[in-house]
Amino acid sequence: MTSDDPDLHTLVGAYVLDAVSPEERARFSAHLAWCSACRAEISELREAAASLGTAQAARARPDLRAATVAAAQLTGQLAPVIARKDIQAGHGRAARSSGAIRWISAAAAAIAVAAGVAFGTHAVDMQGRDSRHASGIVTDVLLAPDAVMRSAPVRTGGMAIVVASRRKHMAVFIAHGLRSLPRTSRYELWLMGPRGERPAGLLAVHRGGMAGPAVISGMSRGDMVGLTVEPASGSLKPTSVPVLMISPRGR
Amino acid sequence: MGSEHDARGKRVTAGPQRAWGHPGAGARSPLGPASRLDDLLANVARGDELAYEAVYDLTSGWVLGVARKVLRDPAMAEEVMQEVMLEIWRRASRFDPVLGSGTAWVMMLAHRRAVDRVRAERSHADREMRAATAVIEFDEVTEAVEASLERERVQRCLASLTQLQRECVSLAYYGGYTYAEVAELLGVPAGTVKTRMRDGLIRLRDCLGGPGVQR
Repeated sequence: MTSDDPDLHTLVGAYVLDAVSPEERARFSAHLAWCSACRAEISELREAAASLGTAQAARARPDLRAATVAAAQLTGQLAPVIARKDIQAGHGRAARSSGAIRWISAAAAAIAVAAGVAFGTHAVDMQGRDSRHASGIVTDVLLAPDAVMRSAPVRTGGMAIVVASRRKHMAVFIAHGLRSLPRTSRYELWLMGPRGERPAGLLAVHRGGMAGPAVISGMSRGDMVGLTVEPASGSLKPTSVPVLMISPRGR
Repeated sequence: MGSEHDARGKRVTAGPQRAWGHPGAGARSPLGPASRLDDLLANVARGDELAYEAVYDLTSGWVLGVARKVLRDPAMAEEVMQEVMLEIWRRASRFDPVLGSGTAWVMMLAHRRAVDRVRAERSHADREMRAATAVIEFDEVTEAVEASLERERVQRCLASLTQLQRECVSLAYYGGYTYAEVAELLGVPAGTVKTRMRDGLIRLRDCLGGPGVQR
């Protein structure tokens, strides 16, 4: 079942980047036990991914060294494994000799497939939208060196994330699990701070209560991002109590 | 020393007289840290504490760097770094040089742990905040990345990717986002994101010098 799943193989890149859900990670790891081509590809791509990490090398505080080494001396080590290699880590080469591992892998895959079905519908939902234009800006903000991420629950349900870059005077707003509203009203974003309350855009809510990414520009010092429920046409000033206030203020 | 890296189980004497290097030095060494790290890990698997100290010196800076980048919180990054360093000690016997370099193995442990942690923090913040206030503060990280040839090389190769490839790879690796989240963030189909992650990594690999090239 899993070994022939053509969709699964397309996860190679995401798997190497750890950009998969725990269920997909398990499903793909199980798939690796059968797919030697995947294992070869993964070990190559993993070298490239590792470079992304080593390029960020920092200097650790010197005092951590003694503490960590001492902790290691008190920590037991896993015994070497002969018959079984770590499938999770892509080390599935020896698994062919182990019926038990095959069975466990298959069971894990079956569970993961069930979980993955629900997951897949969510991803497909996002396909219709055309926001390529904004995506460059979104990425700019998300990867800005001074980007700060905050998350907070929305009072009426759902979770919101704001990533803000003070230097760029911009923020990106994303939410999921928002309560759906009647046709007569909509969510509206606001910048609220010393410069007053300024509208920052109406939000469209998609399936799963997902909204955004919405780019908020013109942020200034002391601004918070607010969310209110407004008449469908939107408002120039908030007409209801915010269901969310997030402060992207840095230190 | 260059011929030793594929010798599984080969014993390499780790002693105080051997200079294993210090953080950052390996990337520019002509032999490269890769094969040496593989040998050291084989010794760590046998409980060699001196080899472990050498592994710590070679890799802790990498591990801390990636943790900082993903977590954006210096204190949390240090915690993750220590956890990963202990995991290296504990799991060294599971490292198999035939399946990839020691560098890739260490960075896989590091990145996976950092990503798991950042996702847990996000959902933890979710739970905490429901009970408390609607405002949450995250520490801002001052980027303290060492300038290095390695860093420049990777930046150059990242720049050779298409914009979408670069966005997909960066948001996943440095942002800790899943491909589904990246699709959402960029407003492109999830299938496209998966494909771009894969061909982006392939292009990155080719640019960095292809498989099997020791740094």
